[in-house]
Amino acid sequence: MAKILEMKHISKSFGGAKALSDVHFEMEEGEVHALLGENGAGKSTLMNILTGVIPADSGKIVFMGKEYITPTIKEMENAGIAFVHQELNVINDLSVADNIFLRKELKTKFGLIDEKEQIKKTKELFESLGVEMNPSEMVSNLKTSEKQLLEICKALYSDAKLLILDEPTTALSNDEIDHLFGILNRLKKTGKSFVFISHKMPEIFAIADRYTVFRNGQFISSGKIKDVDAQKLTSDMVGVNYVDADYYEPRELGGEILKLHNYSGHGFKKINLSVRKGEILAFTGLAGSGASELMQTMFGVLPNEGGYIEVNGNKITGKIGTFMKNKVSMLPANRKENSVIPDLSILENFYTSEHVLSKKHQLIKDKKEEEKYQKQKEKLKIKAENSSLGIASLSGGNQQKVFLARWLNTGAEVLLFDNPTQGVDVGAKSEIYRLILEFAKQGQTVIINTLEIPEVQKVADRCVVFYEGEIAAILDHKDVTEQVVMAYSTGAKRG
Amino acid sequence: MDAKKLKKGIGKAWSQYSFIIVMFIVMIVYAIAISANGNAFKWSHIAAILGSQNTCIVGTMALGMALVIITGQIDLSIGSSLVLTTSATIVAFNMTNSIAVMILTALIVGGLCGLINGLLVGLAKMPPFIVTLGTMLIYRSLTLSVVRTMDSSITGSNSSQFAMLRTNNKYNFLRMQFGTGKLQIGGFSIPYITFVFLLMVILFVVISKKTKYGKSVYAVGSNEKSAHLSGINTTFVKVSVFVITGLLVGVASFLQACKIGNITPASSGQSYEMYAIAAVVLGGISMSGGRGKLLGVLFGALSYTTINFIIVSIPSLSVDIQDTFQGLVLIIVILIQTAGPVIKESIQTAKRRRLAQSEE
Repeated sequence: MAKILEMKHISKSFGGAKALSDVHFEMEEGEVHALLGENGAGKSTLMNILTGVIPADSGKIVFMGKEYITPTIKEMENAGIAFVHQELNVINDLSVADNIFLRKELKTKFGLIDEKEQIKKTKELFESLGVEMNPSEMVSNLKTSEKQLLEICKALYSDAKLLILDEPTTALSNDEIDHLFGILNRLKKTGKSFVFISHKMPEIFAIADRYTVFRNGQFISSGKIKDVDAQKLTSDMVGVNYVDADYYEPRELGGEILKLHNYSGHGFKKINLSVRKGEILAFTGLAGSGASELMQTMFGVLPNEGGYIEVNGNKITGKIGTFMKNKVSMLPANRKENSVIPDLSILENFYTSEHVLSKKHQLIKDKKEEEKYQKQKEKLKIKAENSSLGIASLSGGNQQKVFLARWLNTGAEVLLFDNPTQGVDVGAKSEIYRLILEFAKQGQTVIINTLEIPEVQKVADRCVVFYEGEIAAILDHKDVTEQVVMAYSTGAKRG
Repeated sequence: MDAKKLKKGIGKAWSQYSFIIVMFIVMIVYAIAISANGNAFKWSHIAAILGSQNTCIVGTMALGMALVIITGQIDLSIGSSLVLTTSATIVAFNMTNSIAVMILTALIVGGLCGLINGLLVGLAKMPPFIVTLGTMLIYRSLTLSVVRTMDSSITGSNSSQFAMLRTNNKYNFLRMQFGTGKLQIGGFSIPYITFVFLLMVILFVVISKKTKYGKSVYAVGSNEKSAHLSGINTTFVKVSVFVITGLLVGVASFLQACKIGNITPASSGQSYEMYAIAAVVLGGISMSGGRGKLLGVLFGALSYTTINFIIVSIPSLSVDIQDTFQGLVLIIVILIQTAGPVIKESIQTAKRRRLAQSEE
């Protein structure tokens, strides 16, 4: 097959830090190429250089036989490279067709937008791709998976030859992923190429033809997917000594600490549950099953619409502050949106929650706060040079640890974790599992909400599977398998 | 190595304290403008800047404006609040001849003006721009409609304004000694009201840097959702910054009464909200919220006053064109502050490319 892209001797520094040093990246026409590496390995930097968002310090790009040194965004777009971002860039207040034709509007002879023609062309495009979507639908009414597809269609319409898919499956259910992969496979045959960035191994093996691994801004390995296994890729990504160890061990559990009685709210109804001190419980279920909403209601983020929650024998009603006083805490999903306070330092991000509880003493004693931070830093093995640096200077995994520390610092006994390993690389993931088990050993009660079954198998004593707002099954640790959980969460099997 | 460290230190100081450098540059330009007119630049020029209405009165309100802007909001009503509150403060003085009642009135009326803004924004979830645009119209018009109906023994004036009654025996102390008086330190004289402003600056620098409340203000402006989910009562924070601004308007009203002695509802305090925003922005505080130092407001207010003085000191400029130059200077300063880092980054990249090529 012909080479479509070559990136040679690419280097890039930010300030003093080397983000990429002399890396190579090659792609063939009509392939899905998995670009792998932990957060901070340099994948995003390389893609930003390829799309002209940032200039490389040295090296060159050869795309379809043409050489580029420091291209602009426009040049690369015209050359046929499209970036489908993880944060979707579709415009909610326009229709599907309007989004496709954004900045390339079809015009009538009076210079107005030819809506009819746009809708017709969109329909043709969707038919040729096997996408079922109404071109005149408002984008705000679409599901996340449909928005994802729309963005891909948009790139294809502008005749992109190479599409960069940055973690395209994070917001998709298994069916939707299959659908997406079906479309990708079809497009491959027409000569389109894809850079596929993902942390999920099963997907990589399902869709990718070849792979390239980066670590700490350096090229590590490259080759055909069919010649390797997950263990080899993971150890390339993480470095030597990576073991995907099983940390789980049964523990002695305490008495009941948390009780839900006929608990109802947005998207879930009449939940009854009893959780014991020191237990690790997993909530799982497809998007819309109510698991995430239940967790948010258990922390006062969403309103309770019936029944009650009891922690340590106290019924709790009210907002987040009341739950915090009762030693409940929640690490929300979507770290960037819901946890990060970007303009504050690591230390300031760390102490916010504890300061809500200790607001009677208003003056901040810097030395004491630093001591508390150092204690948690050591316990959680946070890799950070200086607590006065901005939170954005840390990798995703270390940021997440700072937010874990934020809650541990409040002395919380019940820890609710909503999708705690989202956007966190493999190494940091396994560390977070280890920490969860450690918290439980020390008597803290942990509830995690996750869609990843392997995660459930690694840590949970029991797994609560949700289906359409109700508990479909409560499984013991030994009974948790991908098939059983899937059967309950899709409603194929009822408890 | 040490030279490199020094350079790095200066770079850091520039990015964090550029507002001080801006002020010094503006001061130097002022000194040149004075000498160009054939006069010597003296301490009295600086004292005039320190004691100016734009420094002390607008500056005090700008401290509140800074907190409001750091939370990602805006308050357009402070000019009108100043008119309403100063009017009430002067009436209180005229009726009671008591300094304590006067100060208390200033704080209560100012605080209430802020509380109304805060509740509409924080609890009713209305956009602050619209709410304070509305109260801007309301506060001034209420004062206007009242001034004509009141007896001159209470308003202190016959000409549609509120004035401090000269017949009250505290008048002399408030106006002559405190309001327009100066403290002599060595050979330098500094207006008393400047010290009130400086005291407020110190108070709010401490609040913003050293208290849990201060940090929560930054957190709300930086990412409201994260702040909320980390337990901060974001509604309280958003309401409270308006109330604090109101209280500062109260302090500014007391200063206005003592320094000027009167207030004209139809014309006083016009555009003060814009001057305050200018001082905040010149002080290096980000309009998008979450970032900036309260200390910047001190230097921002001084810079803004000095810019005014420079423009007024150019004899050939007609009064009508002065606002154009004020506007231009403001835009240029902000352009330098925001475009600076972008230009710096592109220069660095070009440098590294050259270096990499010469290695090959």
